[in-house]
Amino acid sequence: MGGGFGAKFGAGVEGILAAKLSREAKAPVRLMLTRFDEALAVGNRPSSFQKIKIGATADGTLHAFEAENYGTAGIGGGGDAGGGGGGADIPMPYIYKVPNTRVKQSSVAVNAGSARAFRAPGNPPASFGMESAMDDLAVKLGMDPLELRLKNDPSEIRQREYKLGAEKFGWKQKYQKPGSSPGVVKTGIGCAGAAWPAGGASKSTQGEAQINPDGSIEFRLGVQDIGTGTRTVIAVVAAEILGLKPEQITVRVGDTNFPPGPGSGGSTTCASISPTVFDVCTKALEQLQTQTGIADARGENWFAACKKLGVSPLVVHGQWQQGLSADHACGVQFAEVEVDTETGLVTVKKILGVHDCGLIVNKITLESQINGGIIMGLGYALYEERVMDNLSGVVLNPNFETYKLPGIADVPDIEIVLINMPERGVIGIGEPATVPTAGAIANAVANAIGVRVSSLPITPAKILAALGKVPPPVNA
Amino acid sequence: MKAFEYATAHSTDSARQLVADKGAYLAGGNDLLGLLKEYLVSPNILVNIKSLPGLDKIERGGKIWTIGSLVTVAQIEDDAEVKKVFPGLHEAASEVASQQIRNVATVGGNLAQHSRCWYFRHRDTVCLKKNGDLCYARNGENRYHSLFTGNPCISPVVSSLATIFTTLDATAIVLRDGKETRMSMAELYQRAWENPLAHNSLNNGDLILRVEIPTTRSRSAYMQISDKHAFDWALVSCAAAAEVVDGKLKSPRVALGSISPVPHQVEAANSFLDGKILDDATVSQAADLILKDAKPLEHNAYKMPMAHALIRRTLLKLKGDA
Repeated sequence: MGGGFGAKFGAGVEGILAAKLSREAKAPVRLMLTRFDEALAVGNRPSSFQKIKIGATADGTLHAFEAENYGTAGIGGGGDAGGGGGGADIPMPYIYKVPNTRVKQSSVAVNAGSARAFRAPGNPPASFGMESAMDDLAVKLGMDPLELRLKNDPSEIRQREYKLGAEKFGWKQKYQKPGSSPGVVKTGIGCAGAAWPAGGASKSTQGEAQINPDGSIEFRLGVQDIGTGTRTVIAVVAAEILGLKPEQITVRVGDTNFPPGPGSGGSTTCASISPTVFDVCTKALEQLQTQTGIADARGENWFAACKKLGVSPLVVHGQWQQGLSADHACGVQFAEVEVDTETGLVTVKKILGVHDCGLIVNKITLESQINGGIIMGLGYALYEERVMDNLSGVVLNPNFETYKLPGIADVPDIEIVLINMPERGVIGIGEPATVPTAGAIANAVANAIGVRVSSLPITPAKILAALGKVPPPVNA
Repeated sequence: MKAFEYATAHSTDSARQLVADKGAYLAGGNDLLGLLKEYLVSPNILVNIKSLPGLDKIERGGKIWTIGSLVTVAQIEDDAEVKKVFPGLHEAASEVASQQIRNVATVGGNLAQHSRCWYFRHRDTVCLKKNGDLCYARNGENRYHSLFTGNPCISPVVSSLATIFTTLDATAIVLRDGKETRMSMAELYQRAWENPLAHNSLNNGDLILRVEIPTTRSRSAYMQISDKHAFDWALVSCAAAAEVVDGKLKSPRVALGSISPVPHQVEAANSFLDGKILDDATVSQAADLILKDAKPLEHNAYKMPMAHALIRRTLLKLKGDA
């Protein structure tokens, strides 16, 4: 359990200070940040303020896109200040092919911690803005927003995913014109797409395995498992190639004495380690054959082969190999919501995610990543907000009491459809899974109530304001 | 947090003596622990009162029920008789925080809990409630604050139980200076309206012993709206209670929580509802009366339509199946 989600991808000012202190003190230094510290000084996901203008021909073909985006990426405008989060720029126009574009982006420098990566940096805000604009455009064109997407999305994979998902979700049966759902509690549906251009491999990844005469085998990789199932992936890949069970494989990671591994970020871990483990295993089988004379040491021959090693264990070194991994995972998500138009409460009833990540290595951890990504996207859509006091600059909610995260009662029925594409090799899924959720939910809310809430999180207060139900304040 | 002594009291007298001037009672500890960790309170001694005899029972009487102050919120939630006799109390209890917190949170602690205002709770902010000069919320981030604001500190009362108790005409019995003092819910919170330093009308060393609830109102209901679906503070909460005779309300009471430093009741609304048959127009008029003098701030005016809807819905729940 646990997770990094990008925020710890760089050492940050505080990490470097701890290292300096350790050097001076000639003693280990433990760096521990409380939630208060996290909120105060060590950087955030950059904010994003977007103004999007989008034009299409009457048949829905996108023609022009104009956008301005600015955000705060901390000290020095973000970029490279040790946080590892990049600047405040986002990919625009997101996903879709538009022949004419004009995009202006700026980073606003503030005296705060530098930008931190947060699960698919730039992509969830880009998806939210673009997908919102797409649905608003669909309303103006009188088009089904799914049709508009199919018309303009250049990705053949997402085209497949939208069609598959729409069928499963019952999009055609469920879709109603925005705001036309009857009654006080209105239902709505929406969808959005994801892209994750990264997710490929770190080509310098290395690893080793020690095979002992008793048949036990230990893999050692300098990679870290930040809660994403890295150990499982190593064991699963090794077990399949060696004809063993995953529980027979010992995996050790997170030690700088081990062969260097990739950073655990950018959804690159899986694509980096899987080919590496494959290479280690292939070499191990070759060496076992050479040393023991047993032609195929896999499966039922394993223990006999290992026994022939005599007293010395066999240590095999391997590295990442071309052709077994790729990048560019896609994904689409569909959301169904209920909105209480008197209280503003949004209840997400269902999320359907259709995702690809090349060859599926392990279904349980994959589905777990997507579930987690969707729940995190739900928090981004409806609950999470860092509130600062304008006068004093203090962060007013440095705790999970008022920095709100989804709880079990907020999580909807989540259905996952996976597209297995072994021909593409291994691709990471960590980030694309969270990208489209907020856009899909925001579109479902707009579809339900007939007006758009144009900022996140979509709180009851904002719903009531969008519906024109909030009176002006009274000056006492 | 600062170091403190710890003692377990076995009688109310010894509890009072141990707490003296600078101690704090410890029951469920949900609120106290947070206050200690943020250095908002620094008692020299924590007096564990969980072993005080006789305060952990729900006693059923013909005309009056007594709920001991050490009864947990979960006990109320799980009590089938409470659900029948005071359905609104059951509903209020089941909306408190999370199951884990309800398991240890006590009635006394729920009533006596301190302000959740994020300026008050922030270690770097010295606001009116901490003897500072300024209420930062009044012109600041006041989305969670009061609609009724003609007083110095605008942080709202957040006790769900106080809201429902108000409509049930419940009385808190408080041990003060060696004597039992009876306080209505209005009295229990009055000081929070007048004095920005106060969270309620209790003095240090006062100990809530029990709550008495008359059974005169057989219909009651409680509803709240939060940003989230569970384990979140109410943005607005509403309770209502009444007798219903021949379809007409008798001695009705409506109260709102989270929108005023005290449980918000409007006498004119209660008398307006008396003798009325519950229908959409009536409950809407009652809601207008209850919210009439509200003064929404820059960021909390959304609570107006929300409260209006909640008042209407909660009142209509009193109709029940009959």
